[in-house]
This record gives sequence, C-alpha cells and structure tokens, in this order.
Amino acid sequence: MIHTLAFYLFAVLVIASGAMVVLARNPVHSVLWLILAFFNAAGLMVLVGAEFIAMLLVIVYVGAVAVLFLFVVMMLNIDFAELRAGFIRNAPLGAVIALILLAELVLGVGAYRVGIIELGTPDGSAAPLLGESNIENIGALLYGRYLFLFEMAGIILLVAMIGAIVLTHRESRAHRAHQNIGKQVARRPDDATEMKRPEVGQGVEL
Amino acid sequence: MDLTYSLGLVIPELVLTLSGLVLLLVAAWGGNEASKPVSIAACVALGGAFFLTAPAVCAGASGPDTVAFFGQLRIDAWAGLAKLMIYAAAGAALVVAPAYFDRLKAMRPEFAILVLFAALGMSIMVSAADLLALYIGLELNSLAAYVLAAYLRDDDKSAEAGLKYFVLGALASGILLFGMSLLYGFTGTTSFSGINVAIADGLSGGQLFGLIFVLAGMAFKISAVPFHMWTPDVYEGAPTPVTAFFASAPKVAAIALLARLSLEAFGTQATAWQQIVGFAAIASIVVGALGAIGQQNIKRLLAFSSINNVGFILIGLATATLAGASAMMIYLAFYVAMTVGSFVALLMLKDADGNQLETFGDIKGLSTTQPALAWCLLLIMFSLAGIPPLMGFYGKLVIFRAAVEADLIALAAIGIAASVIGAFYYLKFIKVMFFDEPVDAVKGKSDWAHWALLVIATLVISPIAFLGTEWLGGLAEAAAAALATAG
Amino acid sequence: MTEFFQSLGMNYEWAWFVATIAGILLIALPLMLGVAMIIYMDRKVWAAINLRRGPNVVGPFGLLQSFADGLKVFLQETIIPSAANKGLFIIAPILTFTVALLAWAVIPFGPEAVLADINVGLLYIFAVSSLGVYGVVISGWASNSKYPFFSAMRASAQMISYEVSIGFIMVCVVLWAGSFNLNEIVLAQKGHGLGFVNGYFFNILLFPIFVMFFISALAETQRVPFDLTEAESELVAGYQTEYSSMSFALFWLGEYANILLMCALMSILFFGGWLPPVDWEPLYVVPGIVWLLGKIVFFFFMFSWVMATVPRYRYDQLMRLGWKVFLPLSLFFVFAVSGWLMLTRFAA
Repeated sequence: MIHTLAFYLFAVLVIASGAMVVLARNPVHSVLWLILAFFNAAGLMVLVGAEFIAMLLVIVYVGAVAVLFLFVVMMLNIDFAELRAGFIRNAPLGAVIALILLAELVLGVGAYRVGIIELGTPDGSAAPLLGESNIENIGALLYGRYLFLFEMAGIILLVAMIGAIVLTHRESRAHRAHQNIGKQVARRPDDATEMKRPEVGQGVEL
Repeated sequence: MDLTYSLGLVIPELVLTLSGLVLLLVAAWGGNEASKPVSIAACVALGGAFFLTAPAVCAGASGPDTVAFFGQLRIDAWAGLAKLMIYAAAGAALVVAPAYFDRLKAMRPEFAILVLFAALGMSIMVSAADLLALYIGLELNSLAAYVLAAYLRDDDKSAEAGLKYFVLGALASGILLFGMSLLYGFTGTTSFSGINVAIADGLSGGQLFGLIFVLAGMAFKISAVPFHMWTPDVYEGAPTPVTAFFASAPKVAAIALLARLSLEAFGTQATAWQQIVGFAAIASIVVGALGAIGQQNIKRLLAFSSINNVGFILIGLATATLAGASAMMIYLAFYVAMTVGSFVALLMLKDADGNQLETFGDIKGLSTTQPALAWCLLLIMFSLAGIPPLMGFYGKLVIFRAAVEADLIALAAIGIAASVIGAFYYLKFIKVMFFDEPVDAVKGKSDWAHWALLVIATLVISPIAFLGTEWLGGLAEAAAAALATAG
Repeated sequence: MTEFFQSLGMNYEWAWFVATIAGILLIALPLMLGVAMIIYMDRKVWAAINLRRGPNVVGPFGLLQSFADGLKVFLQETIIPSAANKGLFIIAPILTFTVALLAWAVIPFGPEAVLADINVGLLYIFAVSSLGVYGVVISGWASNSKYPFFSAMRASAQMISYEVSIGFIMVCVVLWAGSFNLNEIVLAQKGHGLGFVNGYFFNILLFPIFVMFFISALAETQRVPFDLTEAESELVAGYQTEYSSMSFALFWLGEYANILLMCALMSILFFGGWLPPVDWEPLYVVPGIVWLLGKIVFFFFMFSWVMATVPRYRYDQLMRLGWKVFLPLSLFFVFAVSGWLMLTRFAA
C-alpha cells in the first residue's frame, strides 16, 4: 500500500511540477519547479529499485546542473512582456507541436497498457544481470560491453570543454599581478623589516 | 568477440583519439606558436588513419569478422570507404585553414584538434551499428562542429552561425533521441540488426513514429529539405575553411550513416521510408536549385548547391537497393572533390590586402586576370551542374541508373528536370567570369598547398578520372555489399 | 524496532510506520540538542583560544546560553522585506534546515543503529548535501537585496567547486572499502592500520585524502577560513542579512547540523566510525555510539580551532584551491588508489 501511495505522490508531483515549469511566469520559479520535478523523478527511480540512478539523478541534475541553470537565470534580466508577445505569435506552432507530443504520450501509455513494450531483447527475455546490485550491474556494463562508447562519451565531454575554452578564454593583454604563494610563504620578517634605533633628532636613512 | 579483437578493428579511431589527446597537451603548453606544428601533426594523424583504413576497403571487408564491441560497431568496407573520404576532406580543411586564420590573427592550435575529434566522431558514425554508437558519434561530431562554426568569436556572423547551428542542432538531436527512445521502447533493442528483426512482421504505430523521428533528425544533419533552413546562414557565417569542412566530411558521414541505418535497421520495412526519402530528395533538389538562383554571395550559393546535391544522393537511398547505395558512394566521392575544390578556389579569391572576396561582383572577368583559377573554378562548377564530360555527370548518371533499375523512373525524371534548372546558376559563373568587364579585384597570391589541392580536385572531376571509375565502382560495390551482412 | 511495535499488537505496516517515525524523532531531537550544545562548545573554544571566558552567565558554566538564545529568536518578530519574493523567502531556511537533517538518516551510530541501511548510503549523503546550496541560493535571490545576492552567487560557485573534489575523495574511500554502504565502510576499517588501528587515516594513500576532505568540508559548510558567503566585512551577513527571528534560527541550526554531519562523515570514512580507535577486545564493551560521538566532538574541536586561528581566504584563492589544487590532486589519488588496489587486491 505504501508503495502505491508513494508512487502516486511522486508521480503527481512530477507531473504537477513539470507543468509548473512551463506555466510559471518567473523563470527562476521555473527552474525551481524543474528541480522539484527532478527530485520526484529520482523518487520514482527508487520505487522501481534503481537507487543508484536515483542518486545520480539528484547529484548530477539537482546538485550541479540545475544550480548552474539557476545561477544563469538569476543573472538574466528578462523582460516578461516581450517574452509573452513572442509567445502569442508562435503559439499556434507550439500548440501543434504540443498536440503531436501529447499524441505520442497517449500512444506510449496506451501501448504500455496493452503490453507491447517489452523491456528486454526482441525475443522478450530481459538482459542478463551481471552482478548482485544495481551499481555492480551498471559498472560491469559500462566498463565491459559498452567500454568503447563510454570512453567516447568522455571524449565528447572533453570536446565540449575545449569548445567552451576556445570560445571564451581570452589572454588579457594587460599585465596582471599574479599571486606567487611560494614566494609569499617564503618571505620572512627580516626580508621586509629592519630594526633601527635612531638617536633623538637624527631620523633614519631610507 | 573479445575486447582485444575489437580494439584491433578500431585502430584508426584509436590513432585519432590518442593523437588528439597528445596534441591537446602540446597545444596547452605550446600556446599559439604551436598552431602550425599541431596542424601538421593532425594532418599526419589523419593520413595515418587513412592508410590504416585503406586495406579493409580494398579487401572489401564484410561479414561477421567486421563486428566490433558486441555489435555496436561495424568496421566494414562501407564504413571504410566513407572514412577515407572523411579523412581526406578533414585533411584538406586543415591544409587551407592556417593561411585563412593567420591573416585574421585567429589561428589557434585547438582548430586542428577539434577537426581531429570531429573526424573521430564521424568515423564512429559511419561504423555505427547500434543506436547508442550512432548518437555518440553524431554528438562528438556535432559538438566539435558547433565550436568550429563560431571559431572566429569576434566576428558577428561567425558567432551567429555557431549559435544557430547549436540551437537547431540541439533541437535535431532532441528529435533524434526521441525517435531512438521510441524505437528502443517498441523493439526492445538498440542494435540495428535487432531492430530489423523486431520490425520484420510490420511496423507498429510507435515504431513508425520512432522511425520518422530518427529520419527527421538525420535529415537535419545532412541538411535535406525540409530541415535545411540553417544551412545557408551557417555556411555563410562560418569561416570558409570550416564551411569547406562542413560541406564535405560531415555530409559523407551523415549520409553513410543514414544509408546504413535505413538499409540495416529498417531494411525489412523499406516501403515505409522510401517515400519519405524520395520526397526529401525531390524537395532538396528543387529547393537547392531555386534557392541558389538569387544568391550574390558565393558561400550561400554553395550552401544551396550542397542542399541540391544531397537531394541527388538521397535518390540513391530512395531506391533501397544495394546498387543505389553503391551509386551514393560514387556520387559522394566526386561530391567531396567538387566541394573541396570549389571552397579552395573560393579561398584563393583574395584582394591585394589578403581579404577574402565572396561575391559575384568580385570575380567579374576573372578569366583575364587569373585564367588558371578561372578555368579550374569553371570546370568544378560545370561538374557540379552535371555537364557531360565531367565526373559530376558520371555521379548523377550512376544515381539515375540505380533509380531506373529500381523502377523509380518518376523520381529520376524529376531529378533530371531539376538539374537543368540547377545548371542555370552554375552557368552564371561563366557569364560573370568570362564575359563581364574585368574588375580586377582578385590580386592576392596563394601558396602552393592551395594550388595543389585545387589541381587535385580538378583532376579528380576531369574526364581523365574516367580511367578510375571502374576501380571506384568496384570499391563502392564491395562497400555496398558489406551492408547488412553481419546477420 | 518494527518487531517491538508489532509485539504491541500492530500489524506490520503500522508497526513499520510508527517505528520509522520514532527513529526519525530519535535522531532529530538529540541532534537539535547536540547542535545547541555544540554552539556553546564552539563559543567556549574560541573564547579559550582568544583568552576570554566565553558564555558563562546563563546556567552553570553558561551551559544554557544556546537555549536562551533560541528562546530569544523564537520570541522575536519575523520581518519579511516588502520587496522580497515571499514564498521563496520563507521556504529557503526551511529547505536548509530540512536538508541538513535528511542526511542523518543513513549515518550509522552502531552496528544496528541506523535509520535507513541502504546500499548507496554514501551517494545518498553526497546527493542530499549537494542540495544544501539551494537554501543559500534561494534565500539570496528571494531577499531581493544586493548583499544576499552576491552571497548566493558566491555560495553556488563555492559549493559546486568543492563538491567535485569531495566526490573524488569519497570515490577513493569507496574503492578501498568496496561498498557505498556506510556500515560496510566502517567495518572494512577494522584493524586496517598495522592490524590493530581501526581507521583509514593510518593508510599512506588515504591520509592525504583525509586532509583534503577536512579542508573541503570546511569549504562545503562555509566555515572559516572559507566563510565568504557571509563575510561580514564585505557582505554584512551574506544571505542571512534580511532574515530575522525563527527563519534566521533555522539557518543557524541547519548550518551547525551540517557541520556535525561533516564531522560524522570524517569519523566514518577515515576514523572507523563507531569502532573503537584500536582493535582491542575490551574497548568493544563501550557502546559504538560513544566512540562515534567522541570522534565527532574531536573533529568539531578541530573546526573551532581552525575558526579561531586562520584568517579568511580571498575569493580567487578559494577558487584556485578548489579547481587548481584539490581537483587535480584528488583525481590523482583516485588514480593512485585504484592503481594500488589493482596491483594488490585484484592482481589475479
């Protein structure tokens, strides 16, 4: 019973917050709803026994990606009136796309109800389990069967990083005073100060 | 199927990966002074990959021996032939890039590295026999391409091109992924052969939707109509060497991938997609031909020309036969030569200060001021138009022959009619270069590398190349025969 | 505990429900008490290092000072700035507080004394602690005031930066222990050092990681010398500037609960958690929770000690330390640890 209750709670919240992402007028609110949606999706993952994926979802999407989203959206100064004007012009197109996607979803749900979706190989048998837990299974697949693609996914991230640096990094022409920590730490009081005991009225030689 | 054997099959990819990583370190420590050595080393790496790939192509590798990594990749003659073209085109882009960027003081070593990784992504694309490999290869190529398009980051047009390409590319990737998830959901597998088995008894609604979305996503990548809108802007805005690269290598990769996907994954349901591909082919030919007519900017014109050419290539796919696939490969080989040649010629149009000239107004009367350049450009344009003694005609011929053999006579007829319209704007080059008053704008000198590339490209499309068509035909036939042989 | 409630005549589901609620209360209430006492300890330690007396008026030795402070803020008026985004302004401290409590669900206080003995315990802690940044960011944005906003920007950058290296540090420990379950990590440390020391700190590859973890924990909890989010000389009180009364108290409690959590994590990951310091039979007579609490108090003392002695970092120094020192170092140690384990444990 608890399972069912939890499922409906998470599912309803995912859908509701998903809707709020679109409906919220303030983009910061949209991002926050998105985070809630991620979070509840992670809850759903836990319910189907994929706790590792759930944790990754929270760590990667909620903990890092969405923070950066929020960071950027908070910095933007968005003119809502202008946004809405463009929205009305493009609304028919958007509505058509939405209808198509809705049809897709209905199709998917309908198909699922009559049992067409088989989560396994074409002959209906599920993929063999390689280890005892989720983590071991995923690890064995990523570093075994999908090793090459996994490594290439790493190269994709590297390319994205190179791209970001190539497009944004600028060597500043002006000379900047860089902090040399070793030098700072190695500096002793004797290097910088000198004790003098001048006679009264004599002053010091600088 | 152990890992060592698979790794042995992907040695060219490993060469590209490792050299890319090593050169990245060189670039990080060497700074901008390392640009030239890094470019040369990248060319060498591409050449190495080229010669490591060539034996498999000549041997016509096919069958279960070409399956790597549990069926995720197929290193067969089809992939090999496409890779040879990709490596050659990428190498050409690397050769012409330094001169272009040096003048703008924008040459940085990362250019060569991005091209290397893009070539790596394309090799994975053409070898992909699994939806996951398809997507990984496509993204690797695309991400590098977005950055390359915006490489002149201080130039508004280049930045615009990069942004447009990125936003629309991301959308296309989303469509593709959506289709892939539907396919996976409704067939239960991501491997091409598995999908083919699963849909053998007919397509369910979800599978059909998945197929259409995947094809739409791919159509964006090859800029086939109706997903072509980004092409002229991106081609015009991107730096010319990058445009040369975009118009050649990724087209080969995406088309080879599309052909493998269609024939291996959806081969048992060819009727379902033949009409879609046929429509995209005709629409691309017509839009490409009509759109090019009013263009004053040569880069935009070449963008429409590439849309037009993709249409012709898609006719080969619409036949859904191996003969059509082999015709596509032949057409692609000449298309790459023509594209590289035309962009190299475009790069050689410089004024006395070395600034690039890109409009028709600048090449008026080029035949009197720069006769050699004018004649090369003329031959390439005639070849693009499909004027008989040149190899562009041969490419169209094999495509139409395959179409007629597959009883797609209507498609072939429309194609021929449209290529007549297309001939108009290619002929405009003659009028402008040979009969207009000379403006004598083109004065800049070009180095030997540009001339060498231009001459090679011109020779490949010249009638002399008829001597090699039998050999090329054999290679293409073996390559097409390798499709759908893994079982 | 479920069995106990079942023996009272409840059916299984009710017993489970009541047992879980009881478990949550058994952790949360002592934790609040602990936070109150630890604030007192914090102030006493600074005072001792500064050669002052510290709180000594309310109750014997000033022990009730925190409760008096709590009562004070409880009775104050809650002020919500008129330009603030009201909903989010109120949610932010609640979020901080809730998240700080959530992570305690998987902390093992003894072999059996853990609320949720899940097999991805460490990942759960990592996931939940990565949520902590939202309280700060939302409060900074919702206050609609410039100092809180700067503070929110700083906080998000800082916490993301140090989470990366904390993640790699956790990976090292997980590699060595072979599990994400905190109890198994604790048990794997039994007799680890020279056959009798319970703890990973005695390992030459893991000790430098422990040092990095300690510093990253300071940064993650925004303690001195990394308290740039509330640097009073630059940002007034940072993201808390506009808060008053209970909403301020919730931030305060959440902050200290987080610090205690980090101390607990250090004890569990590197110092053998509820195991006694050395693997000697008579020491196991003492309940595990005593050892764990002792270690937590020890690490909290270290935190206070640092706070009383180290000056604040500059922002660029903070970023430099995170990205240019800790990230490469922790990556290197992931490599070194996994390489060593490949050579020794998985050689065959």
